[in-house]
Amino acid sequence: MITLTINGKKVVVPVGATILEAALQNGIEIPNLCYDKRLSPYGACRLCVVEVEGQKKLLAACSTPVTEGMEVKTETPKLFKARQTVLELLLVHHPLDCPVCDKAGECKLQDLAFKYCSTKSRFKGEKKHELVDTGSPIVERNSNRCILCGKCVRVCGELQGVGAINLLGRGFASKISPAFEETLDCEFCGQCIDACPVGALGSKPYKYSSRAWFLEAHDNICPYCGVGCTVTYDIRDGKIIRAKGIEGKGINEGNLCVKGRFGFDFIYSKTRLKTPLIKEGDGFKSASWEEALNHIAKKLKAIKDANGADAIGAIGSPRCTVEDNFMLRKFMKDVIGSDNIDSSARFGYAKIQRAVEMSFGLESLPVDFNSPLGKEAILIIESDITSTHPVWGLNFLKAQRKGSFLITADTRETKLTRHSSQWLRLKPGTGTALLNGIIKIAFDEGLYDKEKASRISGLSFLSDGVKDYTSKKVSDITGISEDIFINTAKRFLKAGSRLISLTIGTSEDTKGLNTALAAANLLLLIGEGPASLQMPAEYCNTFGMWHQGLRQGRSGRDIISMLYGEDTVKALYIMGENPAVTFPDASTVDKALRGLDFLVVQDIMLTETAKLADVVLPAASWAEKDGTFICAEGIEQKVQKISQTEGEPVPDWQILRNLSRAMGFEVGAKDISALQDEINEIKTAERTAETIFNPVEYIPGEVPDADYPLTMITGNLMQHSGALSVMSRSLSHVLADAFLQISNADAEKYNVRDEGFVKVASRRGSVMVKARISDEVPQGSVFLPVHFPHAKINTLTHLSLNGEAPLSAVKIEAVK
Amino acid sequence: MLKEIEDIKAKYPDTRAALLPALYIAQKEFGWLSLDAMKAVANALNLPESDVRGTASFYSMFRLKPAGRNLIQLCTNISCMILGAERLRDLLKDRYGLLPGGTTEDGRFSLVIMECIGACGTAPAMLVNTDLYENLTEHNIAEILGKYK
Repeated sequence: MITLTINGKKVVVPVGATILEAALQNGIEIPNLCYDKRLSPYGACRLCVVEVEGQKKLLAACSTPVTEGMEVKTETPKLFKARQTVLELLLVHHPLDCPVCDKAGECKLQDLAFKYCSTKSRFKGEKKHELVDTGSPIVERNSNRCILCGKCVRVCGELQGVGAINLLGRGFASKISPAFEETLDCEFCGQCIDACPVGALGSKPYKYSSRAWFLEAHDNICPYCGVGCTVTYDIRDGKIIRAKGIEGKGINEGNLCVKGRFGFDFIYSKTRLKTPLIKEGDGFKSASWEEALNHIAKKLKAIKDANGADAIGAIGSPRCTVEDNFMLRKFMKDVIGSDNIDSSARFGYAKIQRAVEMSFGLESLPVDFNSPLGKEAILIIESDITSTHPVWGLNFLKAQRKGSFLITADTRETKLTRHSSQWLRLKPGTGTALLNGIIKIAFDEGLYDKEKASRISGLSFLSDGVKDYTSKKVSDITGISEDIFINTAKRFLKAGSRLISLTIGTSEDTKGLNTALAAANLLLLIGEGPASLQMPAEYCNTFGMWHQGLRQGRSGRDIISMLYGEDTVKALYIMGENPAVTFPDASTVDKALRGLDFLVVQDIMLTETAKLADVVLPAASWAEKDGTFICAEGIEQKVQKISQTEGEPVPDWQILRNLSRAMGFEVGAKDISALQDEINEIKTAERTAETIFNPVEYIPGEVPDADYPLTMITGNLMQHSGALSVMSRSLSHVLADAFLQISNADAEKYNVRDEGFVKVASRRGSVMVKARISDEVPQGSVFLPVHFPHAKINTLTHLSLNGEAPLSAVKIEAVK
Repeated sequence: MLKEIEDIKAKYPDTRAALLPALYIAQKEFGWLSLDAMKAVANALNLPESDVRGTASFYSMFRLKPAGRNLIQLCTNISCMILGAERLRDLLKDRYGLLPGGTTEDGRFSLVIMECIGACGTAPAMLVNTDLYENLTEHNIAEILGKYK
């Protein structure tokens, strides 16, 4: 620790801190325009200058490290004058179009000018007259207002790992722009907008919609992925009109991705349900709540009486709150009398949970978003974490920047592979073989923790289980050259601290239960614990839904049995889920849904599934109700009602309570706090943690053959999440259509044109999509994002039940 | 060119540090840095294209416009200026139609005004491609340039 004096006050700060950090930590403000806590010191704006005793020159506080006994002054007449001059010079070029600038009222330059400047300037200079870049979908750049602090450039390059923009040129002519002055085409995370101290970067959907001082800011939790970011929403007239991250706030510490920042507007979609709907002929008729609930009550009772409670099932939602899912379970148990309840997590998170139970005997993994930092070696298995959990993904990039050896095993080129120390471009779905191969090397070379491993049962089974996975065989299966495989494996095994990370999501088909088990085996063998295996839950409340008991009950039926089996249920109650689009093997699901005697869907919009329903109930969205999300780290976070609703939507838990009453049951839950008290009383059963090796084989998915020669990889895009985000207008401006990504070589082979239509067929069905030619996928594989309902990509997919990755083989045909 | 960039990469701690030498290699190869040349460098070094363009547009020794077969770099800093560099500049304009930053119509010469060449004792001085010429006069400059076709 170092002791110094700032403005006569003695402060103690850690070694290596800068004067600015020391001041901020002690509540002393120093004006600045280019400082950002997340970035390395830059020293561009010269506003943070301070006087240091014994130094003739003024020093930039942001880039001067503190020394013992330093005496710093941050406010003196000399400093006032220096800052005044800097601002005066900035204002020579700045357009002063504040009356029409969205930033006015929250502009750092405006605030500082107010504090330091007079109305007269001693200088005359030119203003810039660049065209405003209005061409890009959601981010607008006005370089005339730019003060060249370079914050956006550094946020984009250093923090986001993108580098879409940079400072071009020199002197007065310098400006911030994409590489060749083209229209901005990037991830559209919008981090640059939050970073910009002036109005040079702005949100297009927000443009001209309000003056800053009319906005009311409310914090809420993001409704998309499992990271659980805190987003600050700006409200006007009861409506969210902008989202932003505030430095240091929440798990995300102010970082947001494109979905969090721009994707909130799905709740204002014109297609929101306003009243309950009851099927009538081929269409629906509007109904009152009373009418709809009584209709459901009557129907469900009749089905229960005729076929028993076991003929009724329910599907919950990882997008709904803990309270909503708890109430659905309570409704099924207490009112219907059935344990048939499950969710889409069956296809993703359930596999992670199964592996965690089998390998570590734990209820859940200790997921920690800071876990990548400081690890010597990190191995990512076929997971594009920067798309599925974007803000968490930043920590992997940061770890690599700070010296971690980042190994990314992935077929596709992603942001992670571009930033990797070693990219292992394996064949799709072969991660299990790769991991087994590393385990074999660990045994052969003695590179494992003999003492710890010998205390875990199943060690000899494991060494037997991997004995066939020679480097030669692994190289044949994965397509990675033997040398690179062996060197990378040894580098990982010899590292002082290690981490493996992977995601298993509903829409990803390159991993299965076996992949997770193989990763756990490897870590246990080398003496690492469960904290070294980072497999996060997928959506905003996947964790909460699962751990509040929404998996199938011990006696109940799971989704596979309810929808895919011979003997499907007769009636289904679906809350906030769209199985017709998001579940694998869509044709089978569609058939099952159409075959039901009675289907109730409660959702915020008329989804593809809701269109098949007998009764549709309008639910309140996440921003229109109070409740709880539990993020992938297991942290409970409250969501709040911050937006007014049009029409008559009701929170999901309330719909279910009202329905229970309509069926003649008093289930309590007078209000949300009574319900929360009830949930808090439930104690989760303690588990005895027991570690076991579970040797697994690499089982190929559908192997490409002469009829279906290509392997289809399905997955997530950075701008979309499940089938929810496609309802957002802003996100649809960036990407609104499904596409097939295909390599140059395959495009030539199959006569596919860029942007031309192709028919993609698997053994289960076929779909029509546009092609995008890109060598981000190698020859032999194609990539399809699953988000877009109209494309029905899940017509091509299938279930995996044996621990393998549910890869599908497809053929393609260019449409003339 | 890619092979050369690959070799240079090994000498630096990271690829960003190899950017300047890599740009020199590309410029030597193509005569100037075209859009494609910059993209190729970005690709070879696994750097964002904006970093490459940003760097190339900052330094005056990188040419972002097509250049002639021979590049004249004339110094006009203080010693050269006192001893007549400005007259030489006018001469290039009158006789060859060559303006600073420009190229002759026949593509034979390009002219760049460069900062101090370090030949103050023998000013005025210029570089033609990589050859240094000192003690320039209105008479000998024509003779020198005659050697370059």
